[in-house]
Amino acid sequence: MTREEVFAKLNEVFRDVFDDEDIVVTDETTAADIEDWDSLEHINLLVAIERSFDIKFTMGETTGMKNVGEMADKIMAHLG
Amino acid sequence: MSLVSAAYLAFVLAAVMIYYLLPGKARRWWLLAASIAFCAFCGFYTLFFVLLTAFTTFAGGFLAGRQGKTWQRNLACVITIVFNLAIMCAVKFYGVMDLAAEDLNNFFGASEGVREFMLYLVPVGMSFYTLQMVGYVLDCTWDRVKPERNIGRYLLFATYFPYITSGPMNSYAVLSAELDKSETAVFSIQRLKEGAIRIAWGFFKKLVIADRIAVMVNAAYGDHITYTGLYTALGVFCFAIQLYTDFSGCIDIVLGTSHLLGIELNENFNSPYLSRSIREYWRRWHITLGSWLRDYLYYPVLKSAPLVKIGDVSRKALGKKRGKKVPVYVGMLILWFSVGYWHGGMWTYIIGSGLLHCLYIVSGMLFEPLFEKVRGPLRSDRLPYKIFQIVRTFILVLLGFVFFRSRTVPEAIDMFAAFTRAGGIAFNAQGIYSMGLDLANIIVLIVSVAILVAVDIYQYTEDDAAEHRSALALVCSKPAVVSWAVFMVLVLAVIIFGRYGLGYDSGAFIYARI
Repeated sequence: MTREEVFAKLNEVFRDVFDDEDIVVTDETTAADIEDWDSLEHINLLVAIERSFDIKFTMGETTGMKNVGEMADKIMAHLG
Repeated sequence: MSLVSAAYLAFVLAAVMIYYLLPGKARRWWLLAASIAFCAFCGFYTLFFVLLTAFTTFAGGFLAGRQGKTWQRNLACVITIVFNLAIMCAVKFYGVMDLAAEDLNNFFGASEGVREFMLYLVPVGMSFYTLQMVGYVLDCTWDRVKPERNIGRYLLFATYFPYITSGPMNSYAVLSAELDKSETAVFSIQRLKEGAIRIAWGFFKKLVIADRIAVMVNAAYGDHITYTGLYTALGVFCFAIQLYTDFSGCIDIVLGTSHLLGIELNENFNSPYLSRSIREYWRRWHITLGSWLRDYLYYPVLKSAPLVKIGDVSRKALGKKRGKKVPVYVGMLILWFSVGYWHGGMWTYIIGSGLLHCLYIVSGMLFEPLFEKVRGPLRSDRLPYKIFQIVRTFILVLLGFVFFRSRTVPEAIDMFAAFTRAGGIAFNAQGIYSMGLDLANIIVLIVSVAILVAVDIYQYTEDDAAEHRSALALVCSKPAVVSWAVFMVLVLAVIIFGRYGLGYDSGAFIYARI
């Protein structure tokens, strides 16, 4: 899967989880850019991403991602 | 050893002077010796339990973090954590036993001996260092850090004396990196000034405000017959000030001490009483506990298979939008029960610092659409509305503090009843003086609290995650004469107005008992 394809799929997941069709995620997108992305929603988002990509984040990864770019890197690493 | 004592200041002075006289490589070992000595000063059992937790988590972290079979790593992690949390929970249960012992003393008319002996057994700061070290074991298991192989380095992380009594908690990655700076830390007048002013500000909060206002709090909470109605409200309000100045004053002393050594610890408060919601309050109050619980309890619970399953079932039953909240509510219940229990094994803590806040947050989420309808055209970005939100949040926090401060749940309920009860003394100046402080003391209190509020407002930023202004940085950026004058004013205020001296026993820090 290319990075562009990962981002396209991530965009769908974000729109679905946060119920907002206007969301467009980029490398630099952080929790501060999306209104409902707080600590309560964070795990919902990760679980949705895990299902969508059929991967499993480690507990160490759940808090270590600074932005969506890093998230995409981790996803690509899991996908091999 | 109390952090507000001449002995502590002498200890810090000696520790810092020798620290900077030693070559870089030797400083770490000096800090370790000082930390072990500090624990020993706190009592034999404190030293014993700190070292027990340190050695077991060092071994547990090593086994859980090495390359090997996952089940073996997980087993090592679980055994280490269960062992240490069991000790902590047993000590928390001791709090209940302590209360029971007091009742027994009263019942049989015995001396305080039993109670004092039990309190002697309880180690200082166990809640803080246990969580910090359990966090290290989990970090090793989850490959966030490599297991430490040098026992000396690990022992310093475990026993570092400024944090050991009351936090703030730090992750291993952050604190070990800071402790590494001890080799290159350079003494400077600027550093001395910043550390000294922060420590003096902590002493000011504790000795001028917290210990003074405690007199009124004790009166209101100790006599629900004489002090009713507005006196009850005043007592509840005063306890919020007492707890904040007591705990944040302690943290100021801790951070100031560590700053003198060139080692920066995490901030623990960010103008908490200016929060506009309970969720925001917990991002501003006891920040390091909130972060710890989020990373090491809330996220793993929510990511666990049973909670994910609950989420699937609830989505099917309630629809996507409402269903996805159900596992969050379950996770919150576990989280907040733990917060309450961590503060002490008694129901007063479990309700006041835990379940009540869970109720606030969950009902806030459940009724959010209704609140939005009620709010209607009101502009949420206008100042009056923001002030309303701050006052509302503060009142909700006060309700929890009533349980937190009371010895038992029935006592807390009677405190609420006292607010509406008639028959107490009339609310006037004489009545307020009867709570234990005369006019001069009340003026000192009002001026001190006004300074505190001004500092908090100056440091407040609406976005709690944003870098906030620091009153200390402002003072230290001024010419030396100004900043040293501020230091002297604080020191003089503590000497003249502080509640201490022969015959006065400064109250122990509330959170040191937690």
